[in-house]
Amino acid sequence: MSRAPILAGLIAGLPLLLGGCLGPMPVPLGALDRRLEAIGSSHAPALAGRWLAVIGGRGGREQVVLVDLERQMPVPLPGLNRPDAQPLSVGVDASGERLAVVRQLEGRTELVLYRRGLMALEPVAMEPAGVPRRISLRADGRELAVEVSRGGVWQVDLIEVP
Amino acid sequence: MLVLPGCGSWSWGRRSAGPAGLGGPSNREDPALSGNGRLLASVVERGGRSTVLLQEQPSGRELPLPQLMRFQPHRSPALSWNGRYLAVVVQQGSRHLAVVLDRATGRVHRLPLPGDLEVERLSLAPDGRRLAVEVLRQGQARVELFDLAPLLEPDLPATAVSGGGAGGGLR
Repeated sequence: MSRAPILAGLIAGLPLLLGGCLGPMPVPLGALDRRLEAIGSSHAPALAGRWLAVIGGRGGREQVVLVDLERQMPVPLPGLNRPDAQPLSVGVDASGERLAVVRQLEGRTELVLYRRGLMALEPVAMEPAGVPRRISLRADGRELAVEVSRGGVWQVDLIEVP
Repeated sequence: MLVLPGCGSWSWGRRSAGPAGLGGPSNREDPALSGNGRLLASVVERGGRSTVLLQEQPSGRELPLPQLMRFQPHRSPALSWNGRYLAVVVQQGSRHLAVVLDRATGRVHRLPLPGDLEVERLSLAPDGRRLAVEVLRQGQARVELFDLAPLLEPDLPATAVSGGGAGGGLR
């Protein structure tokens, strides 16, 4: 009886044994990663449906990028990005229609809601006044959770989106 | 038909998610809503350590997460459509890695990334099929995508689920 099959089985099973408590590894989506590399640096990801929103760019100039994961390419966001704004956080709904963005502009930090089909940008005021930072847009686009600094304390506001 | 009110005249429904702890103001950060809006995850200080807090909405009732208690500090939580899956960056030893808690089974999926990449932030697709992670490569932030379809059953909106539903059996 040959020992080779047993040995081969042991070798094949080694990663499984070592990783037993870890379970299977997530599988990299290489083609999409290469698409993202083309953006330059990228951070603050938000996934919903077939959409990935990130903040990315080259040479320190960053903007909001919305990638259609099925077509594996970014889509235009007319009227959203501007050269004098620094985006900090972004959220997208599962239809890819609504994006929520926190950005710094002219020394202020603001939250805006962007409707892609309408190319419309709407400011969302913090009430009571506060400085927004991270956001989460519900996948159905109907509600926003916003991290807001008020008096040195971070709070979470929930805002219904009309 | 969608009516866009003019700038500065917003009358959107809004409320605070409430205080993060008992006795005095404390920080609540990193909010994440489930796709159906019934659950809110955020990060609060518990015993001096950043800990993910999961609450039903709008009641604010806390749902315990004993499976994650050994892996603080937590950051960057994300929820699937019905909140079956809670993904979060945890610390294990000196490493930061992404984990996904399946609330239907109580199982924690640890997701070590190739090349021992350290995870800064993450986003879980609402259906649970993809994970986006922000990692540092040569000092530069980079978002990378991973396919979770082999690991997780989909968690779909209620209207798209037939039979028992992916969100069934959740506490």
